[in-house]
Amino acid sequence: LPDGTDIRVWDSTAEIRYLVLPLRPEGTDGWSEQRLADLVTRDSMIGTGLPKQPHEIA
Amino acid sequence: MDGAHDMGGVAWSGPVQPEPNEPPFHAEWERRAFALTLAMAMPGGWNIDMSRFAREDRPPQQYLGMSYYQIWLAGLERLMLARNLVSPDEIEAGKPLHPAKPVAKTLTPEGVAGMLHRGGPTERKATSPALFAVGDRVRAKMINPPTHTRLPRYVRGHIGAVERVVGFHVFPDSNAIGAGENPQWLYTVTFDGRELWGNDSDPNLKVSVDAWEPYLERA
Repeated sequence: LPDGTDIRVWDSTAEIRYLVLPLRPEGTDGWSEQRLADLVTRDSMIGTGLPKQPHEIA
Repeated sequence: MDGAHDMGGVAWSGPVQPEPNEPPFHAEWERRAFALTLAMAMPGGWNIDMSRFAREDRPPQQYLGMSYYQIWLAGLERLMLARNLVSPDEIEAGKPLHPAKPVAKTLTPEGVAGMLHRGGPTERKATSPALFAVGDRVRAKMINPPTHTRLPRYVRGHIGAVERVVGFHVFPDSNAIGAGENPQWLYTVTFDGRELWGNDSDPNLKVSVDAWEPYLERA
């Protein structure tokens, strides 16, 4: 991870559950919902990875 | 209780190894164990905190030697045995041997969707003001109850800051032992990584837990 990246660990010890919003990759302006959805991975929704980059689904 | 279920912050379990295209269930009996557990809560009359305790309250070597749904099934058997809804010889035989004990309510197939949709909301109407506010420094109490608690061992005794006042929620420590919902204020408390893991921790690490007010004292 680049220096200065905060690492946040959320231990969901109560009944509250959390959803992570994947970081939108650059170069996706104007993309449709469906195209954006193709970038989303399991890990990017639990905060342990970045979504796919546009060239990975081209 | 202290036990093998409280695995947060230990390194011996190694990194998570995700299974590619992991299915929800790995065998048909797992699906049935899950369904039975959800369905039996209504006739059984137990709550989610009682069922969590029934799963975790077992010797570490046994707990760590069981798969996820083996633990669920063992927890269900314990809850049903304690209420005479099943007997040891029936578990051994794998079929009913005695007349079923009458129960007040059962879950019918038509009721499943509604039950799942309702979920298990735990927020209640507040009956007292919150003791802590966002930004307050708090210490997680050093407690080791023999009964159910949701305060992880790795934060006990450590100081963090209140990041969010979540609401007024059922207190599992009471609910699990049949002492009522006893709802309490719930907070997100955030700890610096170095406070929990020492100076070798990544300086950019912060760890948050959701902690009920009885777990906390002003620091």
